[in-house]
Amino acid sequence: MASLALPSFPLDNRRVVGILFLAPALIYILLLVGFPFLLAIAFGFSDVTVGNTDLSFVGLRNFEAVWENDIFRQVFATTIRFTLISQVFILLFANILAIIFTQEFTGKWFARFIFILPWATPVSLAMIGWLWMLDTKYSPIDYLLLQTGFLGPGGHLSNDRNLFWLASPDLAQISVIFVQVWRMTPLATVILMAGLSSIPTDILDQAEVDGSRFMRTLLMIKLPLILPIMVIALLFSMITMFGDMTVVYVLTRGGPVDYTRVLGLYSFQVGIEGGNLAQGAAISLFAFPLLLAMAIFMLRAASRAEVR
Amino acid sequence: MSLVQISGLKKYFDTVHAVDGVDLEIKQGEFLVILGPSGCGKTTLMRMIAGLEKPSAGQISIGGADVTALPPRKRGVSMVFQSYALYPHMNVFNNIAFPLRAQRREKKFDKRVIREKVEDTARLLEIDMLLDRRPRQLSGGQRQRVAIARAMVTQPAVLLLDEPLSNLDAKLRANARDELKDFQRSSDITAVFVTHDQIEAMGLGDRIVVMSEGKIQQVGTPQQIYDDPANEFVATFLGSPSMNIIASAHHKFGFRPEHFLPKTLNDNPENARIFHYFVKRVEYLGSDRLVYGYVQGHDSHLTLAKVPSNVRVSLDVETDYEFAVHYRDLKFFDQRSGARITRRNPAEAL
Repeated sequence: MASLALPSFPLDNRRVVGILFLAPALIYILLLVGFPFLLAIAFGFSDVTVGNTDLSFVGLRNFEAVWENDIFRQVFATTIRFTLISQVFILLFANILAIIFTQEFTGKWFARFIFILPWATPVSLAMIGWLWMLDTKYSPIDYLLLQTGFLGPGGHLSNDRNLFWLASPDLAQISVIFVQVWRMTPLATVILMAGLSSIPTDILDQAEVDGSRFMRTLLMIKLPLILPIMVIALLFSMITMFGDMTVVYVLTRGGPVDYTRVLGLYSFQVGIEGGNLAQGAAISLFAFPLLLAMAIFMLRAASRAEVR
Repeated sequence: MSLVQISGLKKYFDTVHAVDGVDLEIKQGEFLVILGPSGCGKTTLMRMIAGLEKPSAGQISIGGADVTALPPRKRGVSMVFQSYALYPHMNVFNNIAFPLRAQRREKKFDKRVIREKVEDTARLLEIDMLLDRRPRQLSGGQRQRVAIARAMVTQPAVLLLDEPLSNLDAKLRANARDELKDFQRSSDITAVFVTHDQIEAMGLGDRIVVMSEGKIQQVGTPQQIYDDPANEFVATFLGSPSMNIIASAHHKFGFRPEHFLPKTLNDNPENARIFHYFVKRVEYLGSDRLVYGYVQGHDSHLTLAKVPSNVRVSLDVETDYEFAVHYRDLKFFDQRSGARITRRNPAEAL
């Protein structure tokens, strides 16, 4: 008698297929996120170094040592300061650009393409470019300022021929924040553009018939409606920025002195370059509760602001 | 006196002629319905009146002033969209107040005036207890009232309504239709109402504009449009089931299913055209019987008859009957253009 059941082939089984489809993401998360995270926690509570990889539990000793370290406190403060200042500018520029890019104008496609580039470029490559731009001696910015009379003997800004972008404490901090803003604005812009174009055209037409002009429509309709998406964009860029070390690693190595040293870089320098894995892990873990609290708070705020 | 005058209005989107030469006058205080199938250009026409769409050619004037080049806020019009387009992040009060605030400077509204106007309008539409609610907390009917309140609060010269009833369920819709009509009559506002629903159009319109393919097919009262259609399109678009059209040697002629009745019911057969009718199927619809069958000599198309149920005539399937249409209920159309032809003597024309 012929069986009515379908031939059993493993891929016909929903459970098997489900697990197969999930596997790449699961493997990625477990191997490259979950495992390192747990390892960092294990390291943070141990006395492991590059030279001695035996894990013995030492309690909160690493965290206490790190917290009492003045350099760490300064690094922590710098990280928060850089993150907050850059977010203000990122949000401001991203909003302006998103509004511009959702209008109709000739060359829009090209302009969008150009503005997305900073984000599409590999970070380290872009940073090497900025390293040249901000070079102590050969900075093209300095050259332009020199040619226009702002620099050099009798210049408006300085009598020097250079501004020493990455060598003076103030300019180094400004440079790092500027480069971060340059690098992160495109992603925030893209997210906000998606938000703006998801506003139903009926609502905007209605506002126009109701007599609302550009600024009123922007402030009373568009921005409130994309607020939840703005919070998401902010969250993305804050978390990226808070944990980032590439920008300062390439541009300043944390200098001059400690002025541009941020948490990610300091953790790397202590843990990898200095060989004290346990303390490096402890340093990086300080950011974790802060970021977690921030993410929870912002996601809840976003879902509360969600009106549709 | 006509409040809105539209002449030679055209709108082309690339090669598509959405509105293709419309001339129309809208009278002060009337309820004008623009009726047509989807894609006929009715919404584009309305959006041009609102100022949301720039005409490719032609002119619009409102209250004697040419507004063709003016933005919406300078036209004295307001609009209710099909989706109601309520601002989701504002409560009902702020929704209704929005157009007042937007025009605050031009019209010199202060806070107190705005509050009074919003509350008065809300009371008129019986939504004054909902002023603190957000749109998502409202039912479909309440949303519609808020949208109308927001459109009315500025006392516009013309109220434009783009299928505002189509998002309501059937029961609510009939109710909302009555209320809208009452409200328009009592407030004496000029309303332009776009719809594809002929029942809505017949029920609401003082006059109906029938549109197809970007052109006006006919303008008239509901009765004129139904009883005296200007062409084959209007004749078949209105009425459900639609008019039977039969081609004869020189022209087409049509008659509505409700005018196509068994000969025995006709007290004066002299004035009626008799057809041999082969009944194929009978649907019992409660108040009526819908009869599908073939007229002798024209059996390529089904011809429908709508016989009231209270008429005690038995109609059996697969049987020949004699059906009659009164001569005055026969409409003649040009074979090619579909334009209506008047026949002095319909009896001879057949």
